[in-house]
Amino acid sequence: MNPTAFPILSLLIALPMGAAAVCLALRRHPAISRWLSLLVTLAVLALALWLFVAAQGGDGGWLLYEDYPWIPYFGIRYILGLDGISLLLVLLTAITQALAVIVSWRRKYQVAIFYSMLLFMEAGILGVFLALDLFLFYLFWEVMLLPMFFLIGVWGHERRVYAAIKFFIFTMAGSLLMLLAVIAMYILHGRQTGDFTFALAALQHTAIPAGLEPWLFGAFVLAFAVKAPLLPLHTWLPDAHTEAPTAGSLDLAGLLLKTGLYGLLRIAFPLFPEMTQAVLPLLAALAIAGIFYAAWIAYAQTDSKRLVAYSSVAHVGFMMLGLCAWDAMAVEGSVLQMFNHGITTGALFIMIGMIQHRAETREIGKLGGLWARVPVLSAFFLFFAMASLGLPGLNNFVGEILILLGTFRVNPLWGALGMAGVLFAAAYMLRLVQGVLWGTPGPVHDATCWPDLGAREVLVLAPLAILVLFLGLYPEPFLEPIREPVRRLLAGTSLLALKGGLP
Amino acid sequence: MSPAELFALLPVLILALGSAALLLLGAWQAPPRLLLFSGVALALAAAAAAIFLPAAVAEVSRLYGAGAYARFFTVLWSGVAALTLLLSVRYAEERRFAVGEYTALVLFAAAGMALLSAATSLVGFFLGLEAYTLVLYILIAFHKKDALGAEAGLKYLILGAVGTAFLAFGIALIYTASGTFHLPEAMAGIAAGTQMRPIGLLGWGMLLVVIGFKVSLVPFHLWTPDVYQGAPAPVAGLLSTGSKGAVFAALVTLLAGLSAGRAELEPFLWLLSVLSMLVGTLCALRQENLKRMLAYSSVVHMGYVLIALLAGGGAGRAAVVFYLVVYAVVNLGAFGVIASLADAKEEPQSNSDFHGIGWRYPLRCAVLAIFLLSLAGIPPTAGFMGKFAIFHAAIAADLPLLAALGILASLVSVYYYLRVIMLMFMTYECPVRHPRGGAAEHTALAFCLAATLILGIYPGPLFDLIVVILP
Repeated sequence: MNPTAFPILSLLIALPMGAAAVCLALRRHPAISRWLSLLVTLAVLALALWLFVAAQGGDGGWLLYEDYPWIPYFGIRYILGLDGISLLLVLLTAITQALAVIVSWRRKYQVAIFYSMLLFMEAGILGVFLALDLFLFYLFWEVMLLPMFFLIGVWGHERRVYAAIKFFIFTMAGSLLMLLAVIAMYILHGRQTGDFTFALAALQHTAIPAGLEPWLFGAFVLAFAVKAPLLPLHTWLPDAHTEAPTAGSLDLAGLLLKTGLYGLLRIAFPLFPEMTQAVLPLLAALAIAGIFYAAWIAYAQTDSKRLVAYSSVAHVGFMMLGLCAWDAMAVEGSVLQMFNHGITTGALFIMIGMIQHRAETREIGKLGGLWARVPVLSAFFLFFAMASLGLPGLNNFVGEILILLGTFRVNPLWGALGMAGVLFAAAYMLRLVQGVLWGTPGPVHDATCWPDLGAREVLVLAPLAILVLFLGLYPEPFLEPIREPVRRLLAGTSLLALKGGLP
Repeated sequence: MSPAELFALLPVLILALGSAALLLLGAWQAPPRLLLFSGVALALAAAAAAIFLPAAVAEVSRLYGAGAYARFFTVLWSGVAALTLLLSVRYAEERRFAVGEYTALVLFAAAGMALLSAATSLVGFFLGLEAYTLVLYILIAFHKKDALGAEAGLKYLILGAVGTAFLAFGIALIYTASGTFHLPEAMAGIAAGTQMRPIGLLGWGMLLVVIGFKVSLVPFHLWTPDVYQGAPAPVAGLLSTGSKGAVFAALVTLLAGLSAGRAELEPFLWLLSVLSMLVGTLCALRQENLKRMLAYSSVVHMGYVLIALLAGGGAGRAAVVFYLVVYAVVNLGAFGVIASLADAKEEPQSNSDFHGIGWRYPLRCAVLAIFLLSLAGIPPTAGFMGKFAIFHAAIAADLPLLAALGILASLVSVYYYLRVIMLMFMTYECPVRHPRGGAAEHTALAFCLAATLILGIYPGPLFDLIVVILP
């Protein structure tokens, strides 16, 4: 709470940033950079866990808060703040990045640079989840793009260059429009109050001319909807997810999609409360369309990784629907589901990476019969697939049921449609499981290269499985920190209005 | 000219007289490195003199300012000259350039740019512009054995001569209308209601044509790609940064004095800016040659700068100056990497020369990638800060359409900049060999890189300085 206290949030960002720079310098020392990345990501994870345990149960204000002047000429400040929502996402980031490092342990090509990119991205994503100054937010928003561009483009699969540039141009298009809107907000607010600032808290009180409001809101929503991605803007996602290396897919699905939803929740909705209320039905319609459309397309995929990628689009539809319901339970479910989806889809991408490593194919048609060949791997696969389709007792169920219950309370039709979407999810997930685990074994070139899970791989998957179970059976510790921020958000007095940001 | 005025000109005198001295020294077969490094030392001495020995008078002979604004650009162009010379050390040696002349010409160009940026009179404007344009004719064609270089030199010469004619005639017309060369007053001649207003406006139009030629705005940009391609890479760096920046620096002074005629000029500037951004972007997309691509990119960037100039006011002018600094550092760096990858015969230019070299020459390619990202305006590089300042100024001045066009151009530009990066890092290695480069080049590149990153992350001090020096 105290700005003069030790800047833990800055440390969270600085640790990976510094390590990334060191890794760049250690270009010729892959082993050192590998261990350094592991140590640093684990340190970040430890820090995030400590925050999660220690910083809970605050009075509902910012759990942690930092504020320093940065570029006085423009009134830009360096403001970081942590509340329950960002806490959950910071924890997710820390978990995902630690896994990404372990998953990539055997990588051979330009290892140090690879880890450096992972760490830069971690810093950027943490920054996005913590920044409360719009300029700073934009900076982090872009900083997380570049490493992803390189991860896909350099270390990806066959069509990597195409996927990389498509990803970059799509997100860049959205974010450049957002930049214009940010500057416009800044100038509007400055003219009204004489206080030129990018602080979110201050900008919230800007009176926006009615003619301008839809444009500005649209720019923000577009930037975030591309990243989320919402239905018509999702076409970059399957390419990027499929072509990215496993660690990249993990980060894309687990974290980058969440930055879009987080941006809507933290920035677009609070800045434009009236516009938000007007547009929510439209967004909900897109979300529901996304659930069905993505499920349909996912069902038709032959590439297992692409199937999981499209399942992400469907899941994002659920989270979006929860946000659109604008009901405490649904929004809580959405935020929890962001965390859940990161865990289960991340795990699925990891497992497809493992299967591809062994089978050298991701085609569902060429796989099959894995249950007999590698039972432990298959058991884990089945477990995460079941979690992903929302089996009660596992984590996704909790999120989905909260979203659907909340949506029902507000708009029964949306709730009913969403419920049908769950069925669709079951269809494509079961098809994936059926095609990969059961059925006739695919043509295998060499039976000796089919070891079951190694110790490192179990080390990656076991914590995730435990987390899936824990979240499924006892989600309360994860719901508790987000309850207060969500309540304030819905009441229109999000934390921003309460404290801080004002220089 | 009083001693105080001479003292006020000291930085420029150091550059010009030092240039003459080096020319003489070159005749004595001095070792090339000695000449180049003394050139660097002279440029740095001029910059130091500009910083630490403030002039006692505000203006010299009613031609050139000697205030903080003039001094700021003297430092900048001296620095650009020093970097250009550092980047040329190996390049000039391997091509057996007459290094004495080369160094002298670069220093003289810096003197001309410093004078042009400081001009407070149309005569001063003319003298400064011609001083370095003449030098550039020679520098562009300096590599005598290079056919493309000769072609480039000739193109620049012919168009430059036409430009000079326009400039002289335009100045004469403005003088007719206002009866003075001195800048704030010369603008009064075209104030509304004066009898000679049409003549003054015509003069202004001609001046704009010249400026369009010099900073290569569409439709006066046609020479740019050929000249960039043919000119030696360090010279192309100087050409794209100093020679354009100095014109813009002078233009800031010109427009600051222009209150009455602004309304008539603005549509033209608007059109030039829009055309430059659109045509430059579309042409850059199709280039298969890095130097030509950078040429068209410079057309686009000058369009951006024009947005800030149109926005005007304190914010707009600060954005112009900040962008000029950023662009100087970044573009010089980009051409510097090309120079450092060049072997004795040719420079890497076409895309195939960059195919897959990223992991073979990782440091320089990464540095080039950062410069390209900065040109594309991606944070946390200086280019982003510069663009941010420009778009901020544009929106603050209620020019949302220009800002949106600028954003659109930046978006498309991302593709052609990233394309080079993708070629370098995301393709399979090709057996292309490039030299390792020398210490001098690496120093210059390290400086440009550091400036690019520092200005991108912590630009506050430079903005504060610019606000103080603006006229």
